[in-house]
Amino acid sequence: MNIHGTYLVSAPPTRVYEGLIDPRVLERVIPGCERLELTGPDQYNAHLKIGLAALKGSYVGKVHLSDKLPDKQFTLHMDGKGAPGFVKGTAHLNFDEQGSATRITLRAQVQVGGLIAAVGSRVIEAVAKKLTEEFFQNFGKIIAGSPKSSA
Amino acid sequence: MIPAAFKYLRPRTVDEALSLLAQHGEDAKLLSGGQSLIPAMKLRLARPATIIDIGRIADLNYVREQPDHLALGAMTTHYAIESSALLAQRCPLLTELAPQIGDVQIRNRGTIGGSLAHADPAADWPAAILALDATLEIVGPNGSRLVPASEFFIDLFQTALQPNEILREIRVPATSQAVAYVKTAQRASGFAIAGVAVALDGAEAPRVGITGVAAKPFRAAAVESGLSGGLTKPRLIAAAHHAADGIDPLNDIHASAEFRAHLARVNTQRALENALARMTD
Repeated sequence: MNIHGTYLVSAPPTRVYEGLIDPRVLERVIPGCERLELTGPDQYNAHLKIGLAALKGSYVGKVHLSDKLPDKQFTLHMDGKGAPGFVKGTAHLNFDEQGSATRITLRAQVQVGGLIAAVGSRVIEAVAKKLTEEFFQNFGKIIAGSPKSSA
Repeated sequence: MIPAAFKYLRPRTVDEALSLLAQHGEDAKLLSGGQSLIPAMKLRLARPATIIDIGRIADLNYVREQPDHLALGAMTTHYAIESSALLAQRCPLLTELAPQIGDVQIRNRGTIGGSLAHADPAADWPAAILALDATLEIVGPNGSRLVPASEFFIDLFQTALQPNEILREIRVPATSQAVAYVKTAQRASGFAIAGVAVALDGAEAPRVGITGVAAKPFRAAAVESGLSGGLTKPRLIAAAHHAADGIDPLNDIHASAEFRAHLARVNTQRALENALARMTD
């Protein structure tokens, strides 16, 4: 499935970019993220417990970042596996300055398979959209609330 | 598969259930008819540590006439609603919808309260609850509160119910026979790809509730305002065109977003026509 969206964050592109590639920020904004551990340069293992209402599942996702252009863009690759199934995806993020804010453009392709895809295919796309919204809402709150991070 | 191990508790009163919920917090799930929860548990997509079965609480399964509404206990089964002579006469939208849920086995166990609390985006009851502008009675540690249907469905699988609350009663108005529920079901599961409930009540403005189309059920406000000038056939058809206005239709292997929007429009027209045909003035 494809997930496209634009999100406005009240911070300049520099802070937004730094925030999004900072594992300490990611750990707090990725929905259901319990732990993000660094496994190499721009490489992480993300321990996630995600789902909706009663239907939560645990996943471990390998995340790595590529095509980094400071303050402009980067690409995030995710490969997550758990008992309920697997989630694989690539997300391209672009940052454009809009006054004192940043417009983030997200273009992601996500594949879901296994049990959740088999029984939950009705709602997978809606859940993915909701989690993406949650991610950017969390991010917006953190960036608005925190002092400028150091490089 | 079989469910992961869980603790099973069976309170005898609503107060006992509330205190168990407070005790066990996020690790507990209420069990009513189990027609959504148990399959999820068997697949291990849901793994509540504690199940609080409210099925033996007395006096949650009833259909009663009150001076200004009809009251349904949250544990009233779909089948009890389907076979209620009182509802067939006083709130026929419910008796038209009920037999379209799942199958007989599901209807014998599944409850209206459980269905509403679970808030599956493709469940049937939400469309009727919205079209009837029903009121929901919710009990919690601080007493009970009434929530209008229009404020109950918040997002995908998310309702106004807090984790420490229990839905106790659903209050619906008495209506005329000018109602209808038209659904296109996914063949295997019976879930609504597009389900439209309509209540045309003489003096009141017409109401249209739609399920299965968006991440949460909604009132088709654009259709309703298109009908405000009167219920003629051309107006019905024109108004139905707006059934999917302003929402983001779900997209999955059963139906694309475009197809869902199309079905919303078609089923809205059919439901409006059916309801109008049943109007006796």
